[in-house]
Amino acid sequence: MSMLNKRKVNDGILQGITYGASFFSLFVLLAIIGFVFVNGVHLLNWDLITHNYTAVSFIADLKEGTGPGNYETDQVFAEGTYYSDKWGIALADDTNVQGKNVVLVVYVNPQSPFASLHDKGISTVPIPLEKDYEIIRIAFDGASSALSVQGAQNMITILDGQNSFRELEFSTSGGGIRGSIITTMYLIFFTLIIALPIGIGSAIYLNEYAPNNKFTRLIRLLIETLTGVPSIIYGLMGLAIFVPITIQLTDATGGNIISGSMTMAVILLPIIIRTTEESLKVVPDDYRYASLSLGASKTQTTFKIVLPNAFSGILTATLLAIGRIIGESAALVFAIGTTIKDTVKITDKSASLAVHIWAMMTDEPANIELSTTIAIIILFIVLTLNISIKLISKGMMRKFGANA
Amino acid sequence: MIEMKKNKHPHFQKNAVIDEVVKSLLFGFALLSSSFIFIVAGVILVKGFSPFFSDNGGLGAVNIIKFLTGDTWLTGEAFHSNLYSVGFIIVSTVYIAILSLAISLPIGVLTALFIAKIAPKKIAATLRTVVEMLASIPSIIYGLFGAGIILKLVYNFSAVIGYQSKGGNSVIATVIVLAIMTIPTIASISEVAIRSVDKTLEHASLALGASVTQTHFKVVLAAAKSGIFTSAILGIGRVLGEATAVSLVAGGRRSGLSFDILDTTSTLTTIMLEGLKETSDLDYDIRFSVGIVLMVVILLTNIILNVVKRKVGNVDVK
Repeated sequence: MSMLNKRKVNDGILQGITYGASFFSLFVLLAIIGFVFVNGVHLLNWDLITHNYTAVSFIADLKEGTGPGNYETDQVFAEGTYYSDKWGIALADDTNVQGKNVVLVVYVNPQSPFASLHDKGISTVPIPLEKDYEIIRIAFDGASSALSVQGAQNMITILDGQNSFRELEFSTSGGGIRGSIITTMYLIFFTLIIALPIGIGSAIYLNEYAPNNKFTRLIRLLIETLTGVPSIIYGLMGLAIFVPITIQLTDATGGNIISGSMTMAVILLPIIIRTTEESLKVVPDDYRYASLSLGASKTQTTFKIVLPNAFSGILTATLLAIGRIIGESAALVFAIGTTIKDTVKITDKSASLAVHIWAMMTDEPANIELSTTIAIIILFIVLTLNISIKLISKGMMRKFGANA
Repeated sequence: MIEMKKNKHPHFQKNAVIDEVVKSLLFGFALLSSSFIFIVAGVILVKGFSPFFSDNGGLGAVNIIKFLTGDTWLTGEAFHSNLYSVGFIIVSTVYIAILSLAISLPIGVLTALFIAKIAPKKIAATLRTVVEMLASIPSIIYGLFGAGIILKLVYNFSAVIGYQSKGGNSVIATVIVLAIMTIPTIASISEVAIRSVDKTLEHASLALGASVTQTHFKVVLAAAKSGIFTSAILGIGRVLGEATAVSLVAGGRRSGLSFDILDTTSTLTTIMLEGLKETSDLDYDIRFSVGIVLMVVILLTNIILNVVKRKVGNVDVK
């Protein structure tokens, strides 16, 4: 009896450990999602996606012959926005992408002197103040400056009491990730253009044409071996081969989006080949026989009958590839570089969203807020892709039965 | 697959030519895909060996014996030296890999056991989805999570025991991040192995009077040994090759081997990323040499684990 009791206790302990371990995964997932949301969600807005990362600041003064007047407007402003009829400008308090309090330009009357400002250094260059710029300070002759820390209402009040100003310092708003989003999209586009034809072509050869012999098995083994190579090694390869090739062929001077895409394509080949081949295997041989017996050639059969029926597999491969490109960082750090760019050029360095996170986290001090905001975007895309892939494979299962 | 009968009609002849062209084109693609492994290996080998033979722009050739066994990594940029050693980093990389596997293997395997044998269908399906989602999260986000949460935990914990850690950057933080990254890999592969264990083994165990839990642990897991080993091999591959996530929590260590889990550390991958943004010449090229070491370490680990697997994994699995 006591032995059975002891067994019960032992079983209970083991079961408890098993339950605990299983829910650890759930706990980790919730912790990660919770962490990125708590830290990043307050920066998540439309400005983040449309703005540049680097803020540029200007110092400007009034163009000769312009000054205060009566610039009434029939625009209706939200509460908390202050408009000066005298200067034709509307300001509001806001928090920028980095979470700092700033005074934001909401509206500039086209006739306003602010719409025709001059750069103070080289006073022939016009730099008009525009919506969404941040005003840092306005300095006056014989009066104390209006500073952004004192708020928008205060700034408008001071402006209304003055008839001219000495200089105005303002900046375009930074901290956005527009450039990195564009880079990521370019990367996805070029990588797929390179990887899909080679990958799908290889899969078709292996499944439809290759004889079952040692050489074919060797080809499979070599392709399979690629999956075991860590991505940082691919990065080094890209740096040593694809970067010099693109420098030779284009106007690139170092790592660039094309060399990054080529590197990503090599990383993705085994995944694309395996997924496509699995979907080709599922297409019943009857389809092939039927097509061939109707007089279609092997090529026609492969491309007009087999391939369209394997479409969902190719779609799965594409979605898997997109997810991998969005998440990849180590390989791209070497194959493109870590420079965060606002003006993206395909033959120049720039950072994808994942590399953007890495670059900011390895800077001093690390920018955890913006990093987690980007992480929310990446997580959302990756998890959506994951769910889509599941739905597609369910559909495939329905179409061809249990062997799918 | 399907052999075509040769036909003399001109229309068929034209098709036959197209077939041949298409076939060779596709064969070319397959050949290209399979050749990349040689390109990868070749490039890393050629570039990685050159610092040992070239003059490195006046710094002198790097001593290969010192490189493999030494315990100091001086960046040539800052110190104008050719003293680069990864000996201590190899040890700490393997140390970290073993520690993280010691955490992720039991948790991953038990999760797999729970999903495959214990949980009701709905809970099993939910957990399986959770594991899949975790597997699809990019490693940089695990690194970010590590930098934002685990570093703080480690920092506070070491403060409690009176230890001043470098912002939490430590062996243990690295181990935890790597462990939670590998749990989904281990869980999903082990689950397949556990599910494919022959039911008759279980019935036999239960018929002999063993409890369900005893059967799970002593029969099912033992029978799935081989698959579990495979999951461990894949898991350790991910651990050894992971770079960016680790670089956010390791802290970077340039000299002296330390097994202290609260101390900063370097792995073969973090040293490759160290100071990458502003460097050139030998300090850049030496990263290829570290790449060779990394590939050799991964290859050796794989071979050793596969040998062990063959020795222990001889149980009937259907």
